[in-house]
Amino acid sequence: MNVRTHMSMIFHLDKCIGCHTCSVACKNIWTDRKGAEYMWWNNVETRPGTGYPTQWENQEEFRGGWERKKNGLNLKLHTRFQGLLKLFYNPSLPDLRDYYEPFTFDYQNLFNSPQKDVQPIAEPVSMITGDPIDIETGPNWDDDLGGSNVYAKNDPNLESLPEEVREQMNELERLVFNYLPRICNHCLNPACVAACPSGAIYKRGEDGVVLVNENSCRAWRMCVAACPYKKVYYNWSTGKSEKCILCFPRMETGQAPACAHSCVGRIRYMGVLLYDADRIPDAADVPDEELIAAHREIILDPHDPEVIAAAKANGIDDGWIESAQNSPAYKFVKEWELALPLHPEFRTMVMMYYIPPLSPIVSIIEKNLFRLDLMNEDYDFELFDRLDAARLPVKYLANLFTAGNEGIMRTVLRKLLSVRIYMRRKTVDGVVDDVALKTLADAGLTEEEAIAIYKMTALPTMEERFVFPPYHREMSIEAGMDPLAHKGEAGLGYIQQPKRGS
Amino acid sequence: MEVKHNIWRSLAERSFVIILLSGVLLTGSFYQATASPKHQSSDEGQGIFEQKCISCHSIGGGIVVGPDLEGVLDRRDRDWVASFISAPDQILADGDPIATGLLAEFNGIPMPNLGLPDAEVESLLTFFEGGESVAPVTSDPLPSGKISRGEGLFTGGEAFDNGGTPCIACHTVGGVGLFGGGSLGPDLTHVFQRYGEVGLASSIQNIAFPTMQGVYAEKALSNQEIADLLAFFAAADSEGKEGVATGATSLFWGAGLLGAGVLFGVMAFFWPKQRENLSDRLRRDAGITSRRHS
Repeated sequence: MNVRTHMSMIFHLDKCIGCHTCSVACKNIWTDRKGAEYMWWNNVETRPGTGYPTQWENQEEFRGGWERKKNGLNLKLHTRFQGLLKLFYNPSLPDLRDYYEPFTFDYQNLFNSPQKDVQPIAEPVSMITGDPIDIETGPNWDDDLGGSNVYAKNDPNLESLPEEVREQMNELERLVFNYLPRICNHCLNPACVAACPSGAIYKRGEDGVVLVNENSCRAWRMCVAACPYKKVYYNWSTGKSEKCILCFPRMETGQAPACAHSCVGRIRYMGVLLYDADRIPDAADVPDEELIAAHREIILDPHDPEVIAAAKANGIDDGWIESAQNSPAYKFVKEWELALPLHPEFRTMVMMYYIPPLSPIVSIIEKNLFRLDLMNEDYDFELFDRLDAARLPVKYLANLFTAGNEGIMRTVLRKLLSVRIYMRRKTVDGVVDDVALKTLADAGLTEEEAIAIYKMTALPTMEERFVFPPYHREMSIEAGMDPLAHKGEAGLGYIQQPKRGS
Repeated sequence: MEVKHNIWRSLAERSFVIILLSGVLLTGSFYQATASPKHQSSDEGQGIFEQKCISCHSIGGGIVVGPDLEGVLDRRDRDWVASFISAPDQILADGDPIATGLLAEFNGIPMPNLGLPDAEVESLLTFFEGGESVAPVTSDPLPSGKISRGEGLFTGGEAFDNGGTPCIACHTVGGVGLFGGGSLGPDLTHVFQRYGEVGLASSIQNIAFPTMQGVYAEKALSNQEIADLLAFFAAADSEGKEGVATGATSLFWGAGLLGAGVLFGVMAFFWPKQRENLSDRLRRDAGITSRRHS
């Protein structure tokens, strides 16, 4: 057992209101620079939708992630030899139009325009060329299904759904969408690291943050192509690749990453997970239907004395272990088994997890029979018994979070629903009846667990949502530099301007 | 009180010893510094001469590459000799009449600036004052050389036994090599005529040129290799070709154009097969035509 620590984020999708505050917070801190205009280290997508960059999940085009072959896991992008052949022209690389051409508006015109018969407008201009453009797409063009005929119906996750279900989803009565906020998943088996010919990307030992060393990056952009989540971006101005750094400077000082901190719906949780690094290769190399189980298997119980002893043998201090024991991430991922990785079939072993959203029941549950008179609680029971009546097809959610395994998705959704039914009985009716208790038991939860899940979902304090270990960064750097050397200094940007061709 | 007193006393004692010791050392080192050069100057001068000058000069042994230095201080002003040894290139560049005359007399071969520090120049002059004679490098008579092997060694077609760099990396000989040689060192087409056989052999055997010294310091050439090179240089001098080999330029352009043509041909085949970006494709499928004017 090789125990390591990881900072993991949980996204409770039922709570996401799609306000993009996280994206804006991230943009303002990290990517408001020349060359980074088109980057959204954090973005929020509307689902069903094609996301950002357009159809990033379509790995037949982008070839990200890993592939299972006879000799084990291989990069889907290329073998080493193919990589050498494609060194200077990589067809799988997304180009700027796959993201979008970043734009702003000519606001000056509102003030400086000469007098005309019509109101002056702020014309859109490209942030790259500065010329006026017609905006054709954006980082969230199909927001709230705004472009559903063009984009949402091309969501790769709809592919395995029967044609009639896909058609039904386009009917007005069944229209449904949810939001999917995405950051770098800081994978345990990162394809970007594996693909980098310069060895410029690495995973930090202490918290698992995957970082690009800007001094070693030689702009091969293999990471951009190899990342199945398209979360490494190429900065055309500096000629280096960049990605989400999980706001490690904030975490090291005990603050939540900017996206999580600013979240209006408080959907994000962060905490330490302990995992067994020795078992990563085996866990990534199992059949699709076993991926979730194998993934959960390598997350270790921080209360287990054997795990604690192994962690200490690996130099993990008590502060981190205690933090792991209080971690909301551990509770959601392992204890309650509610949080799921996004697209486990890419086999990069992501360490950011999602609690899938519940959706309303369809208005038409039988042919020509409108059931809009159902009470809220009846919806829930209706759903609990017949998950297929949910507007978001279970198969669709399974394609997103469980590599198509509907069984696991049903278990998770039923748990969430049973907690809702139980708490509604308890707080609205004041009585918990046998029917509610039966749904809990059917979902495999005890009353205590249901209350704990409810509290962590609806009433958590800031300290319960964000459990940060003491990083003691000042201690780990004091051998090499004075921890107070930069005290009082502030600002962003490159410490050294990267030089090209060196 | 007792303790404090002791500390002060021991401190005073120690500082006295330190001052005494440093006085002795200072005087000694001053004596050493002033005494050593005078004492050994003449021997040192001979050492420097045999190391750095002998490839081109003798004292009483006749002309090698440069003039015989016997009685040089009788012929020239001592200060002039000193400044010439320190920076011959500077003196020449300043248009000094004696230096210009010497350059013309010795086949236009300028003396390289050896970068000698003033102390070494002074040692050399002291050695010249002593009037001792030094014969030119008298090695065993060189074996007979083969022109073809000499050319091989020059172009790098054959390796030097001690692994020295082939001459062509820095030098050019007219008509040798597809695109000529390097231009760091001088053109060697007529080097045989300028240096003469003895001078050329001597300067290869005992290299005086600062740039070459570093390159061949650990990789001396064997006598057979020198003989082969000399034979090659003699042949190159008498043939007297200039410039690069004939046909090389047209070959260069021809190959370049052909290669570019092939490259563009391959590109013309693959260019239209580039991946269409996905958002464009989705819009096209949905029947939305791009409104971009460009």
